[in-house]
Amino acid sequence: MIAHGLRRAGAARPARRPRSRPHARSWSRFRPLSWLRSWPRLRHWRELQAPAGLAVLALLALPPVRGAMESGMASHMLLQFPLLVAAGAALAAACPAAWRAALARWNALGIAGLAASAGVLGLAMVPRLLDLALVDARVEVVKWLALAACGAALRLSWRAAGVVVQGFFLGNVLPMTAVAGMLYQDAPQRLCNGYRLDEQLLVGQALVWGALAVAAAWLVLAGWRLSRAPR
Amino acid sequence: MLRTAVATVCLALACAFAGGWLTHGFRVWTAEGARRLEVVRHPVAVPAVRAVGPGIDGARPLPEWLGDDGGVTLVDFVYTRCRAVCAALGSGFQQLQARIGAAPAGSPDTRVRLLSISFDPGHDDVAVLQRYAAELKADARIWRFATVPDAGELRRLLGLFQVVVIPDGLGGYEHNAALLVLDGRGRLVRIFDYARIDDALHFARALAADEERG
Repeated sequence: MIAHGLRRAGAARPARRPRSRPHARSWSRFRPLSWLRSWPRLRHWRELQAPAGLAVLALLALPPVRGAMESGMASHMLLQFPLLVAAGAALAAACPAAWRAALARWNALGIAGLAASAGVLGLAMVPRLLDLALVDARVEVVKWLALAACGAALRLSWRAAGVVVQGFFLGNVLPMTAVAGMLYQDAPQRLCNGYRLDEQLLVGQALVWGALAVAAAWLVLAGWRLSRAPR
Repeated sequence: MLRTAVATVCLALACAFAGGWLTHGFRVWTAEGARRLEVVRHPVAVPAVRAVGPGIDGARPLPEWLGDDGGVTLVDFVYTRCRAVCAALGSGFQQLQARIGAAPAGSPDTRVRLLSISFDPGHDDVAVLQRYAAELKADARIWRFATVPDAGELRRLLGLFQVVVIPDGLGGYEHNAALLVLDGRGRLVRIFDYARIDDALHFARALAADEERG
């Protein structure tokens, strides 16, 4: 107590930094992954994202890679689909500020982008799409473009959406995903002519658990954001 | 905000349109469902691929097989090493054979024929098919067996009928087993679940009676 008082009273050190919110707790300044920025190469991470996205797309499009990924239902749906979405999101980093501003006028609160993303994600879970993508090159091309565009739209809309619209989006997409996962598990017969029943079961379980995981992650993130927001 | 509303509606409509196309108007969700619906809407003529089988000298075009009796043919696709779904198909065909065989002369049932086509000609040659037919106690007047030895022609047949064969990871195959109904002109007109042999026979009987009346 005395030591504490002395240190205060001594005032040898000035206040560490001026604070706009005197009651803010120290953990509110916690920046996840900030340590990564201290790694010199990752300082330019933003500029590297679009080339990385392009590289992922090119790699996925290589015939042996594409063939291997689409040979199994799990790798097709749980690996290729998310990678295409992620590549699209990474490519959106290259979107010039002027385009972003122009797009934002048609995408207030990210509503248009998130609605389209929900539609694409819903279509991506229709079993016939998986089968058609294997045999119809047009469907395959549209599938790739739509999933990459979905990733870009998610990225360009997410921040503008704010917690409320994000919650509405996830509140629709995640239950849809979980229900699709349960239907995949409950189907007594194969839903995809091109894939085995055991893989369908695995994909069904993964969809349910994935939806739960995303919901939990978003709740934690949203709670953290809200707790930091100025009252 | 108005622009956003317009963009949202346009994008939602595009998704709905794509979904409608993908699911044939939100009626089917699987490729198998789509196949069955498409066949009803647009019958598929059997291609003139050369098929071999027990009791047939050399290779004959498949449409000729079907035209032999001018009746309706129930077709299934199998491979003889199959122990799972083809076994169900086999017992279904045995029941169908018994019922067709027991039908009184002159009834439309007598014009219904059965044909099992193997998609595994590498293993299932004529001798193997002959043994398989004997195992299943197939009556050659009602139930015949065939395979298409040429790989390209087999691919064409399977592609047209949308029969998808994939390795099951255990040395065998998974395939979308079903009962395919081919009319007297050799067109695939209807596909039934392999468990629905009653429905398939009723449909084939009605079709045969229709054709008889002309």
